[in-house]
Amino acid sequence: MTDVVGTPLSAAPVEGPLAVRLRRFTDLARQVLRNKTTLAGLIVIVGMVLVAFLAPVLTTPNVPDPYQMPRDWGALNEPPGTPGHILGTTSDGGDVLYGIIWGSRVSLRLSVIVVSVTVTIGVIVGSLAGFLGGKIDEILMRIVDVFLSIPELIFALAIAAVLGPSFGNIILALSMVFWVKYARIIRGQIIHVKQNEYVDAARITGDSRFNIFLKDVLPNSVTPVMVQATLDMGSIVLVGATLSFIGLAEAGLAEWGVLVSKGQVGISTGRWWASTFPGLMIFLWALAFNLVGDGLRDVLDPKTESR
Amino acid sequence: MTSTVDGLPPASRPLVAEVKDLRVHFQAKAGLVHAVDGVSFEIRDGETLGLVGETGCGKSVTARSFIRLIPSPPGVYAGGEIDFWSSAARRKGEGPIDLLQIPQKEMLEIRGDRIAMIFQDPGKALNPALTIGSQMSEVLFQHRSQELMEAALEEDPPAILRRAARQQSSALERLLLKLPPWRGRMRRLSRRVDELVARALTETQISNPRKIMDSYPHELSGGMKQRVLIAQALACNPDLLIADEPTTALDVTIQARILELIAELQQRLETSVLYISHDLSLVREICDRVAVMYAGRIVETGTTKEIFSNPLHPYTRGLMAAVPSAAHKRGELAAIEGNVPELVDPPPACRFNSRCPFAVEICRTTDPRAIPIGDEHSVACFAYESGDRTELPTLEQWV
Amino acid sequence: MILPILLIGVSLIVFTLSRVGGSPIGIYLSHEMTPDEVAEIEERFGLDEPLPVQYLAWAGGVLRGDLGWSGVSVAPVTQVFPDKLAATMELSVAAAIVAVTLGIGLGTFAGSRRDRLPDHLTRVFSVSGASMPVFWFAIILLIVFWVYLGWFPIGRSDANTFASIAHPTGLYTVDSVLAGNPAAFWDAIWHLVLPAITLGFGTTAIITRMMRSSLVEELGEDYVEAARAKGLPERLVMKRHARRNALIPTITVIGLSFGFLLQGTVVVEIIYQWPGLGRWLADAVLRGDQATIMAYVLFTSVLFLTVNLVVDIVYAYLDRRVVLGA
Repeated sequence: MTDVVGTPLSAAPVEGPLAVRLRRFTDLARQVLRNKTTLAGLIVIVGMVLVAFLAPVLTTPNVPDPYQMPRDWGALNEPPGTPGHILGTTSDGGDVLYGIIWGSRVSLRLSVIVVSVTVTIGVIVGSLAGFLGGKIDEILMRIVDVFLSIPELIFALAIAAVLGPSFGNIILALSMVFWVKYARIIRGQIIHVKQNEYVDAARITGDSRFNIFLKDVLPNSVTPVMVQATLDMGSIVLVGATLSFIGLAEAGLAEWGVLVSKGQVGISTGRWWASTFPGLMIFLWALAFNLVGDGLRDVLDPKTESR
Repeated sequence: MTSTVDGLPPASRPLVAEVKDLRVHFQAKAGLVHAVDGVSFEIRDGETLGLVGETGCGKSVTARSFIRLIPSPPGVYAGGEIDFWSSAARRKGEGPIDLLQIPQKEMLEIRGDRIAMIFQDPGKALNPALTIGSQMSEVLFQHRSQELMEAALEEDPPAILRRAARQQSSALERLLLKLPPWRGRMRRLSRRVDELVARALTETQISNPRKIMDSYPHELSGGMKQRVLIAQALACNPDLLIADEPTTALDVTIQARILELIAELQQRLETSVLYISHDLSLVREICDRVAVMYAGRIVETGTTKEIFSNPLHPYTRGLMAAVPSAAHKRGELAAIEGNVPELVDPPPACRFNSRCPFAVEICRTTDPRAIPIGDEHSVACFAYESGDRTELPTLEQWV
Repeated sequence: MILPILLIGVSLIVFTLSRVGGSPIGIYLSHEMTPDEVAEIEERFGLDEPLPVQYLAWAGGVLRGDLGWSGVSVAPVTQVFPDKLAATMELSVAAAIVAVTLGIGLGTFAGSRRDRLPDHLTRVFSVSGASMPVFWFAIILLIVFWVYLGWFPIGRSDANTFASIAHPTGLYTVDSVLAGNPAAFWDAIWHLVLPAITLGFGTTAIITRMMRSSLVEELGEDYVEAARAKGLPERLVMKRHARRNALIPTITVIGLSFGFLLQGTVVVEIIYQWPGLGRWLADAVLRGDQATIMAYVLFTSVLFLTVNLVVDIVYAYLDRRVVLGA
């Protein structure tokens, strides 16, 4: 008779829970990386992050503030290919390549800060709503709904405009707008766990809410939060650049959106480089994170087919 | 159930369909899956042939091949023919057509008209966004547009109406048809179609056809939906009805009624039926003849009576023994040991050899062929090679 | 339903923001005034009242149509609003038409040829569209089609042609048809092309993606196979069965992407110098004109909520299995 395929349970050594999680993680990672487009996105991200970190090495930082575009009055509006300015210069003599490199640093800072803050806020709000339930849940979810009624860009724009034009305010404004989805995810998970039978058993055995949170809610929320955070890394830079473009950041900042806005003026006279290259970076950044986010979603949550 | 067509005994009735050495393969990552690998059987006029086997044996693929419903990547019709004689062809004494070879246009004419199919889950086989009436009328518009036009419209109607009757109107035309000069005539056309649809529904003992026609699928029960699908399938009076496990998704109580319905309709309309199932007791009730399938091949065919009273193939015997019945001692359920083999690029061998208690060397190296045993009974097993019956243990001894 | 609550919530946010941004009567004040004079003006405008009272007064004003004074346009907001609204609506509708027709078409095309070349190309297009910074895309298109090729113009119209017809609706395309003036009509269309494509690009990508995945899902359903088994030609199976059902979830995306479209108008109008709400907002941002900014936020939110509500109703009507309020 043919054997049933697979090792009988008794023969394999029992794995500890940490080892199980680790193995699952590597399995998932391998699955995600199998998708070529996701892999490409990941490579681009790694490249950009490296550039961001190595900015002070790759270029001579501007004094006194490296985040301000350097001004070289002797090299105004130089086209790409000019010695010393591979990608050309802006109308202020700022090196476009400098702007791109330091801009990636700015974008990295922006996205990491905003994502960290928004995930935290979202988790807190979502947990409060989910665990406390009742009136508090209703109020918090109404607030969430109200926030969702205003389109993200416009909301962030209004906040940033009210606070005053500075990149710090952009970070603040985005943090106040983008937490909403995480609150929903966490709350949804809590409700799901609440409805699950085995939680009742835990309550009977006296497991505290916090423990339930740690052992049940958090692990299950990790995946949708991770997917959303990855996608947000891209969107936040997009929206941030848009806000900078409109004029809500400091003038002269070495930031992609500001650069595009600066370069806009020269277009009618054929000076295309000052806007094109920085804008291309925004596109690549968003594209890379979208590809990776989609790849993650395909593997971790195959029900929602995003392709 | 056994019906006498033209008073002729079963064996001498004319053929409706003959499957000859059908092979259907699927391109998978692992290799070429031989889902159907050399299947042959006949369906005669007015009879119900049961195609039995466990899940994954290829019976659904075989059924779908009749009307070429297998999606073409990854499926491939790798060999054989399915010969079909429509009633018109039989009357005129013409030869058969090979369903696997005819051009797509001809196949579209056959589907729904000469050969109809009903599926396992009636809930899923209906479009949830359309009313029953509008879905059923599609079949009639597709295949009976000429009659509809003759009954409802004037002589030689304009092109726009002819296209409407054949469901070939463009978006612009459909808009125009809502306007007065054509609206009246379209309404007459619709009324005529609705009459035919209502008639088809009454045939399946639905007492309030008009109400059903205006309903959406989710408003009907499972049994009602299956009746609707049967009505739709028989609307054009097909020569062959293929039923793919039509009662599996239904309640046991409804199952019986649907079976009765199919049997009754089959007798009245003299349709031949190819009945796919994994449930032996059902097959025993309504089929005249049975073909048993295993791992892409037919292992035994014969009349229902023969197969159930004298199963020859070890697999058939195993199936009979596995069916709970009064004959078994309480608490015992015999199962056939082992699993269905991998069908990817299989070597020549009897597919059942790994689970067969009587397997010998030749079973592992050569493909068995169908051996006729007595009247209308054939089996594909080397145990019967020599012509006289070998000493296989009886059914009772199997357990 | 909860729409009124949401509207109140939004108005609260707008009110809060406007107060955070500094005194709303800033334009009436000057540095030379004494504290008493300032206090007097504040009292006149009700700014000494408790905040909830101020909110109600403001909200009452909004409902009466008083949205404040636009520093940018030097006129009451409500006076300037309609013309700018018309310009933005014209652009948005044009972009929406492009996005919906292209999106549904491409999505169907890709979904019916799953995993083959058209599908892969379409997927690249979809992801690019969702990642594309609208303002950059606009600039690229301008560089290529305006600066180098000179095919399309900038702005909304040629000044002379525009002045030559009456403007009853404020929609250049419609007005030129009403006036029976083909030159004006072409002028309108020609100026619409680039901005509409720019604005519609991202939305097209979203719609394409949704349509494609819906269609693939529907094509895998049993009723599609059953429809084929009836002898229906593939064209009919696709149009009457698969695509029709695939459109239903796509409708929700079309509604949601409206928000995307709205946000895009801001930068598109800046770059193409389109005289609509978006550019008005951009100017207001640069000059710190609170009234204009808040009026804009209020308007877009109300519009966004309304569109979503309409989409929900349409969806419930189309998918008869869905019960409103479920």
